[in-house]
Amino acid sequence: MIRAKELRTKICSGEVKSADVVKECFSCIKETDPKVKAFLKLNETSALLQAQQVDKNENKKYGLLEGVPIAIKDNIMIKDESMTSASKYLEHYISPYDATVIEKLKDAGAVFVGRTNMDEFAMGGSTENSAYQKTANPWNIHYIPGGSSGGSAAAVSAGMVPFALGSDTGGSIRQPAGFCGIVGYKPSYGLISRYGACALASSFDQIGTLTKNVLDAALLTSAIAGKDYRDPVCQPNDWIDYTSTLNDVNILKTLKIGIPKQLFDYKTDLEITKYFNEAVSKLKTENVQIVEIDIPAYKYVPALYKVIMCAEVSANIATFDGIRYGYRSPNGVSLNDQYSKSRSESLGYEVKKRILFGTYVLGAKNYHRCYHQAQKVRTLLINQITQAYKECDFIFTPATLQMPIKFRETLSEECDIFLTAANLTGLCGITVPCSFTANGMPMGVHFMGSRFSDAKLFAVANAFEKISGFDIDKYPTI
Amino acid sequence: MLKEELKTTAFSARIDIKDDEKDKYLKDINSMFEYIEILQEPDVADLKPTTHVTELRNVWREDIVKPCHKEVIDQMLNSAPEREGVFYKIKKVIEAQ
Repeated sequence: MIRAKELRTKICSGEVKSADVVKECFSCIKETDPKVKAFLKLNETSALLQAQQVDKNENKKYGLLEGVPIAIKDNIMIKDESMTSASKYLEHYISPYDATVIEKLKDAGAVFVGRTNMDEFAMGGSTENSAYQKTANPWNIHYIPGGSSGGSAAAVSAGMVPFALGSDTGGSIRQPAGFCGIVGYKPSYGLISRYGACALASSFDQIGTLTKNVLDAALLTSAIAGKDYRDPVCQPNDWIDYTSTLNDVNILKTLKIGIPKQLFDYKTDLEITKYFNEAVSKLKTENVQIVEIDIPAYKYVPALYKVIMCAEVSANIATFDGIRYGYRSPNGVSLNDQYSKSRSESLGYEVKKRILFGTYVLGAKNYHRCYHQAQKVRTLLINQITQAYKECDFIFTPATLQMPIKFRETLSEECDIFLTAANLTGLCGITVPCSFTANGMPMGVHFMGSRFSDAKLFAVANAFEKISGFDIDKYPTI
Repeated sequence: MLKEELKTTAFSARIDIKDDEKDKYLKDINSMFEYIEILQEPDVADLKPTTHVTELRNVWREDIVKPCHKEVIDQMLNSAPEREGVFYKIKKVIEAQ
């Protein structure tokens, strides 16, 4: 699979036909996806029609992603199409409107190939919590792809599509990207509109990108970022071409990278430590200044995330009541009974557990000690990270502290704390693959930048990609 | 969390829990209580809580009813499991005396 930027250039010049690219995508999907199970739904007919329209290009206008196929996580609305969020509750739901990012992708000329699997309502880190199917890691189908955007990560990693959209509430783009050997990017909170995305925890949620390389992440972000009156936290800014800063050859020479000393407090897979240290050495060779930073509040990240996320989940998922749309139980004898049975019969265990814990921490008796206290500790973390950015430009860590595991095994709680910290603080983060370990699985590193330093984050990640030694042209054999 | 507390929480959350599921929920939720304890550790008495990382403040406006196209109303109502005319149909809220 050719990468998106290159494809767009070739389609616009007439060298390649969009319809041929789309056919190639579906041929790869038909061969690969029965084993990987990345897709919940495919739109072959409509995708081909869309591609043929692009090839005719009667108005000679070329969008930013003209004719390039894309996969969309199944929690982002496309008008008149189903959107399940991998839940039985939304099994027959048809989206009445386009999410803002979809509107923008349509304007940019992207071709929608299908909907990718995920953990139900994005709750999980393995894609095993989908109500429909389990997605496999294309590098070894006995291992998880990570989650919750596991379908998107697997589809891109296996070369079924050049890129995909995902959503990231606590690492849900960057962790599976790390596990599948691709680039995963979560924007600063407020850079990309969430209008039309199924909410998990509203103060953390962001839509972001899964791509083979940093250039494509920057290109896709250029197409979907920007202000939106329908998402109040989306910050006004002029259109930015995020690919324009990528050619700064001197960016590493003036760069100060911070490594949290807390990284060494956690049990980390030996190979991750080894290849992370190699990545640090490569940065040093480019004259990057490495400094140690101290953020003691990192230790509160798993607890902070669980308490605040579950509280927000309990409020957001309350909208699924079986009244206006979605599943309604035929067994309810009263209104309350119908609410309870509709939710219990259609939601998975993980979702219900989080709703219950969230309801508890928001309860009148518990609110002050639980939720209010967590919000104050969140301030402590933000203050310490803000302080750390006085000593460095970006914070650098492994993407995860553990390699992918087999199905039904459990990831450690600290596995992705350096990713989750970006959601708690609203910062931007990107994972870039850096190496293959002895068993042939890829691993990645993570750069986290201050809020709205996204353009510079892409430039740094792009520069690292070039010196990482990771072969992005290598695809898994499935 | 005790069984009685699980029952009241489940009612608030409108989640129907069957008797044979109670022990598993209690075990898993009680293990999450550790998070609450961890967050009591730092001294944050002087810090303000963060609800959102943006500097946005709530802006109030009058609640004005605007007309809506019939097709949009129909599209929305057609998503409902049950409708009657331009209303969502639900079970009786107040039982007759």
